[in-house]
Amino acid sequence: MNRQAAFFAVTAVVLLLLPLVIKSDVVMTILVFAWLQGMLAVSFNLIFGFTGQLSMFHAAAFGIAGYATHLSMQYLGVGYWTGTVLGALLVSVLSVIVGTICFRFRLKEFYFAVVTLAFSEVARITVVNWNSVTNGTLGINLQEKPWLFGFKVDDTVSWYYLSLVALAVTLLVCSRVVHSWMGRCFSAIRLNDELGDTLGINVFRYKLAAFVVGNFIAAVAGSLYAYYLGSLEPGFLSIDASLGIVAMVLLGGRSSVAAPVVGAVLLVSLPHLIHFSAEVRSIVYGSILILTILLMPQGIYGSIASLLRKRHAS
Amino acid sequence: MKLKIGLVAAALAAAVGTAQAQDVVKIGQIEAQTGTLATYGWMGHQGANMAISEINAAGGFKVGAKTYKLELISPDTRANPQDALIQLKSMLEQQKAKYVFGPFLTNVFNGIEPYATQNNGKFLLMGGATAIHAQLGTPNRDYLMRTWNWDAGASGFGQLMVDYLKKQGAKKAAMIFQNDAFTKVAVDIYTPIFKQAGIELAVELFEPGTKDFSAPLAKLAAGKPDYLFPGYTDAVLYDIVRQATETGLFKNFFLVRGSMAPGLKNKDLIENYIAYLPKYFEQAEKTEPKVKEFIAKYKAFYKTNDFPYDQAPLCSSSCYDHVYMLVEAMKKAGTVDDVAKVKAALMSTTYNGLWNIRYDATGEAVFDFDVLHMRKGGAISATRVHPK
Amino acid sequence: MGQLILGQLLNGAILGTLYGIIALGVTLTFGITGIVNFALGVFMMLGAYAAWYFTDVAGLPYPLAVPCAVAATALAGLVADQALFRFTRNNLVNGLLVSIGMIAVMESVALLIFTSTPKEMHRVLPGVIEVAGFVLPKMKVAVFGLLLTVILATYAALTRTWIGRAAYAYAQNPEAAALMGVRTERLQTGVVVYSTALAGLGGALYASLYSLEPTLGSLFVLKAVEAAILAGIGSVLGSLFGGVILGITEGVGSIYLPLAFRDVYGLVFLVAILLFKPAGLFAGRK
Repeated sequence: MNRQAAFFAVTAVVLLLLPLVIKSDVVMTILVFAWLQGMLAVSFNLIFGFTGQLSMFHAAAFGIAGYATHLSMQYLGVGYWTGTVLGALLVSVLSVIVGTICFRFRLKEFYFAVVTLAFSEVARITVVNWNSVTNGTLGINLQEKPWLFGFKVDDTVSWYYLSLVALAVTLLVCSRVVHSWMGRCFSAIRLNDELGDTLGINVFRYKLAAFVVGNFIAAVAGSLYAYYLGSLEPGFLSIDASLGIVAMVLLGGRSSVAAPVVGAVLLVSLPHLIHFSAEVRSIVYGSILILTILLMPQGIYGSIASLLRKRHAS
Repeated sequence: MKLKIGLVAAALAAAVGTAQAQDVVKIGQIEAQTGTLATYGWMGHQGANMAISEINAAGGFKVGAKTYKLELISPDTRANPQDALIQLKSMLEQQKAKYVFGPFLTNVFNGIEPYATQNNGKFLLMGGATAIHAQLGTPNRDYLMRTWNWDAGASGFGQLMVDYLKKQGAKKAAMIFQNDAFTKVAVDIYTPIFKQAGIELAVELFEPGTKDFSAPLAKLAAGKPDYLFPGYTDAVLYDIVRQATETGLFKNFFLVRGSMAPGLKNKDLIENYIAYLPKYFEQAEKTEPKVKEFIAKYKAFYKTNDFPYDQAPLCSSSCYDHVYMLVEAMKKAGTVDDVAKVKAALMSTTYNGLWNIRYDATGEAVFDFDVLHMRKGGAISATRVHPK
Repeated sequence: MGQLILGQLLNGAILGTLYGIIALGVTLTFGITGIVNFALGVFMMLGAYAAWYFTDVAGLPYPLAVPCAVAATALAGLVADQALFRFTRNNLVNGLLVSIGMIAVMESVALLIFTSTPKEMHRVLPGVIEVAGFVLPKMKVAVFGLLLTVILATYAALTRTWIGRAAYAYAQNPEAAALMGVRTERLQTGVVVYSTALAGLGGALYASLYSLEPTLGSLFVLKAVEAAILAGIGSVLGSLFGGVILGITEGVGSIYLPLAFRDVYGLVFLVAILLFKPAGLFAGRK
């Protein structure tokens, strides 16, 4: 068994047994949020880190799914899991539309970010103003909880396992995709998408695939998150939320599937570990972002990994 | 021999010391202290912090035979419900706090409400959020209290304000509010009140972040209203009032939120500026000894010559008075742990501090306020109103 | 109704020059350093607070406070360039992320120093003028004139002076320009500093019209980037027209459709432009 697999196996066992050791609800809550944000970060990385497209639509996918799940439960009378699937499907359809528009018109890098930002803002403004459906800025309180194998997922430990499993599935799916022929096309596109065309890769199709798959996962994460928190608000779709996802990926690292999880864990837990005054904390957050770009462009996971590789090589 | 006595004395002192350290009542505060929505949380923090320091400096407070001190736990939610939930959990589970002030923001309240309700009976949550109002008095919400007064209802100030406006002879009003949570409620509250008073009401909403109000003001002016009803944070009021007056489109203003400053800055172009203010601190400083003392103490405590007159009215919610009121309630109830008894004491007390505060049957605060009327040139007449 | 529209056309044009001057900064920075500097919003905020401080606190006359504010902002821009932006040349993503970090830091510092209480400058040029039945504050007209002059002067400088043409040459072909003796690093720093100065000027003039709070730059810079893209990022005159078009679209659109959707119009228009004329409306024209 090689080193990486052993590392993952040990981590998995530790994480599974963690609730037996840690009795603090606060720590477990932080971890639940970390796993769900981790799903967001990993799926975003599929689009950004592996396919090279800076999408500002991710938070919108996350937020829309929560609302869609709730609305389908309320108006169609379905259960939570059906609602989540419906929400994810809606987000996928929207992703196909947005993605087709962007990629058909061959929007590059920065312009792609701008257009996805525009769509994200339109979505957010719609949520804010469509009061009869979304209750606008007052938000919606969610009373229901998911049921799994006859158990109601209501307490923190159950949510911990649910979100951990969801994250594990996400990692598996993304890993499979990245290491498949599809993933190799993503890499080619990231490096130089014009070249990809000449190599016979249907660039449009693969960009769209990455975009839709990434957003689908974000949607599932969004549904879980909303029902864990117990409320919906338009803030889920804000630009700040999208930037937060980018920050997680930056901090954790772009080059491997699991790296963004490190960023997620850090960004979720950091505000609660360091007790600065409020303004100072913003300054620290901004400074971390700047320093990471300048000094650690591979992110924490990436930097550690390359350090270990160098040591191993020498 | 001396050494032995010394050691025993030291041991005793340590024992007494630690025993005293146990007698701390922790007060949590769950507010946004940075970001665009930080005004509400900021003043609440300033006031509560000062009150707690004062009480501790005076030796703490006595309940039964024990003396207690207070400790403030005040993290910054940054208006993020995820962070607020973790912070509340930390307060209740790690810090074992039983009294939490806040939140003012609806989205934060929505995020922490499920957890708070799960812990019904274990603590008290006393906040100013709009969304709290609808949940007061419903099953399983014994922990919940609202520390700000409500525009509508029997003790509401909205009705009184609109009555005053009617006496000025207003026939038509135009409401220009920011599109957010409070506004939805405000429109729902004020539309029927205006209708009942026989005053026509037009409504325009603008997106948060708007600075140039030329378009909505021109639109509303076309309807020739008597009064402009702008809302509601000072950040937008400064610009709305300025742009409304310098173009000559509006001369009369009616406000239920915000400070007098926007009116005063444009006083020569305004005929009437009528505002609801929890307290007009500039005047109260001269007429009310408690207010004068508060301002002096604030300046000394925060080592500043600037007293935030425009933000001080927000201290009418989850702030200075409320800490003292809570301590009074604990003394009256004879306990610092039994939150049900403390709440009962809170509900049966009228506290006389900067404000005259009591709670109605559902747990919502009722306090006295000022109706201010500024006329052209800046002369302000203030009427103190005591809701029934 | 006609008067309403005319009024919004005029007002939109004025607001548009404010968007335009920031858009000019965005466009110049992109052309020469290859990044979109969202932090220009922060420099606008710095310029605004500096102007307010010099005028209302230090007591300088406003016409003197403005150049001082611009100088202060330019200095800050120089420092930021040497310390940060220098490392992000031509890397759009890194530039974006560094900008975000900078914004978070600077807005917090401003919040610490100035608090969230809005600051309003005293009326520098009170009074209004009437144009075809529509009332416009004199200061707004003055701001319009000033910004228009600066933008046109920049255009003239870029097309007539040696430095300007060197900048153009560099934007078209960096290697060739370097071979021709253009000092690329100096040029890049110069352009960044000039862009921050422009943003500072916009902020200083903004302060005479609107109230100030630490987040005032964020929304503006978003609009400015929209305007720059609309016109064709890299086109100097285009940033002016892009800003004006955006300002007018918002104002006139608000009359017919709910104001709450004001931002949507600009966005939809922007997306349409990017899809059908990705080089911008004024591509090819400089």
